[in-house]
Amino acid sequence: MTQKNGKPEDPGQESPFKSKIDYEEVKKLIALLEEKNLTEFELEVEGFKIKLSRQLSAPVQPSTLVFSGVRSAGNPEVSPSVQEQPGTPVPLEDKNIHYITSPMVGTFYRAPSPSSPPFVEIGDTVKKGQTLCIIEAMKLMNEIESDISGIVTDVLVENGKPVEYGQRLFAVKAGA
Amino acid sequence: MFSKVLVANRGEIALRIIRSCKELGIKTVAVYSEADRRSLPALLADEAICIGPPRASDSYLNIPNIISAAEITKAEAIHPGYGFLAENAKFAEICENSGFVFIGPPPDIIRLMGDKNRARQTMKKAGLPVVPGSDIVLEDISEAKKIAQKIGYPVIIKAAAGGGGKGMRICRTSADLEEMFPMAQNEAKSAFGDPSLYIEKYITGAHHIEIQVIGDQKDQVIVFGERECSAQRKYQKIIEESPSPFIDERIRRKMMKAAQEAAEKIHYQSLGTFEFLVDEKKRFYFMEANTRVQVEHPITEMVYGINLIKAQIRAAAGEKVGFPIGLEMRGQAIECRINAEDPETFIPSPGKIDFLVFPGGEGIRVDSAAYAGWEIPPYYDSLIAKIIAYAPSRALAIAKMRAALETTTIVGIKTNIPLLLNILSSTDFINGNYTTQFVEKFLNHKPPVETQ
Repeated sequence: MTQKNGKPEDPGQESPFKSKIDYEEVKKLIALLEEKNLTEFELEVEGFKIKLSRQLSAPVQPSTLVFSGVRSAGNPEVSPSVQEQPGTPVPLEDKNIHYITSPMVGTFYRAPSPSSPPFVEIGDTVKKGQTLCIIEAMKLMNEIESDISGIVTDVLVENGKPVEYGQRLFAVKAGA
Repeated sequence: MFSKVLVANRGEIALRIIRSCKELGIKTVAVYSEADRRSLPALLADEAICIGPPRASDSYLNIPNIISAAEITKAEAIHPGYGFLAENAKFAEICENSGFVFIGPPPDIIRLMGDKNRARQTMKKAGLPVVPGSDIVLEDISEAKKIAQKIGYPVIIKAAAGGGGKGMRICRTSADLEEMFPMAQNEAKSAFGDPSLYIEKYITGAHHIEIQVIGDQKDQVIVFGERECSAQRKYQKIIEESPSPFIDERIRRKMMKAAQEAAEKIHYQSLGTFEFLVDEKKRFYFMEANTRVQVEHPITEMVYGINLIKAQIRAAAGEKVGFPIGLEMRGQAIECRINAEDPETFIPSPGKIDFLVFPGGEGIRVDSAAYAGWEIPPYYDSLIAKIIAYAPSRALAIAKMRAALETTTIVGIKTNIPLLLNILSSTDFINGNYTTQFVEKFLNHKPPVETQ
């Protein structure tokens, strides 16, 4: 519940750059960065150092776009499901990484039986529809299939551990 | 006693159960939907398991996921709270079959009381007076008309599988009945999957009074003094109080005795509530029994100085329900339900609570899972807090409740507090002179609601 880092510091007051450089000048530098399409800029003057950098491809973090803003006061039952969904695959670091999430609550098993080898290992190529693991729920073994073709880059749950709904199980790099 | 209990609910009742478990030294597991990830029950329970997406049918009603959550956390018992799966006999059965104690009555009692018409017939046989009406489920309109003719108009159509006002229609003439019957049938079918209807004589100017009972596995039933629940809008209770200003000691004893005998006859177990209609002449009629903890249980707790949830958990663990001998009601308790809704249009008002100050001090109790920064999801009911005032007399309890509501500050969403304050200031409420028609009438003649 505690919110880390509060508001960004008000740039108008008490410049951390003392008299060396002011807010307006930093703004100019940032504008320069954009104008010249640079990704990095470093400046050092009399014991003062500033480093600016920016990302070209993703100016806005994708996760911040998922907020719903659903404030409509309608029938609660029929409201659209545009809620923030932390469990669903949201590409973060690599857009090609897709996460297979648990569709149910249960116990995660990597192999069809304790003596058999795991369904998949890191580095394996998987096809859409291929079984990746088993989730035991209510004494039933549910085979969980990949919903994408690609290469398994990570196994995120240990064999035999409980998983909750929406929990990430595998990372799969999309591709043939 | 259990070592771990899974709470299959959300909001204030989930938190109430978690707190009671903590008092008993029981570990808790909260289950939550994706919309409730940052809810207090999920944050305050010893363990929390996400059981599905926001829609209740996929999460809080998702029996396989709830049972699996109990399995992976090694819980011993499941508390269903109220609503959701609380009165689902099948769920109670699945719990037992999967090796978990269902904290509630046995499935056959839930099933019996869930069929409102069968419950009526059973209670009639057990000696409880029931409102005159049809003794069987009505197949068609001609049967309905025949019975209505016999018992006299106005009559009320009810769904056998009913609850919450769904499928209910008041008919003053046979023409009304002809028009309403198919509508009620459709409504019952879509709400409960069962179009069965029955009719009762509609009692005007009645009070909705309920009697709390609790039974243990040794067939001991303890019964408590009444809750007055006549302050309702569209069958939704808004303000409840205990004792009722309308019920005197003689009627109270009669109702308590009747409820106790009926509960004993069916070997009632766990918490339950017998709902009665009480007419102007103080004749009481059994309406239905709820096989779960009620939203308004705190007012009974306040006037008796007990914790019903703890008693319910103890009973489920096979312990004897023991309360001090000669427990009597003392003082007056009033509960106001704070809903996230527009006080004029009653449209739900979900959203983020930016700032929140609840009332406090001597004699004030707040049961709520809301906090500043919490975003009330639009998927569930609009109850965000129950404020309970307790004082030695009714006048003092009303004054205390008014002061409490006036000092309650909720910023970011709309609440019904202005309406509650208006009702608490009305002469009829202050004089204890109100029936189930009161709120509806009050709204039709109300002064404009002051906006905060």
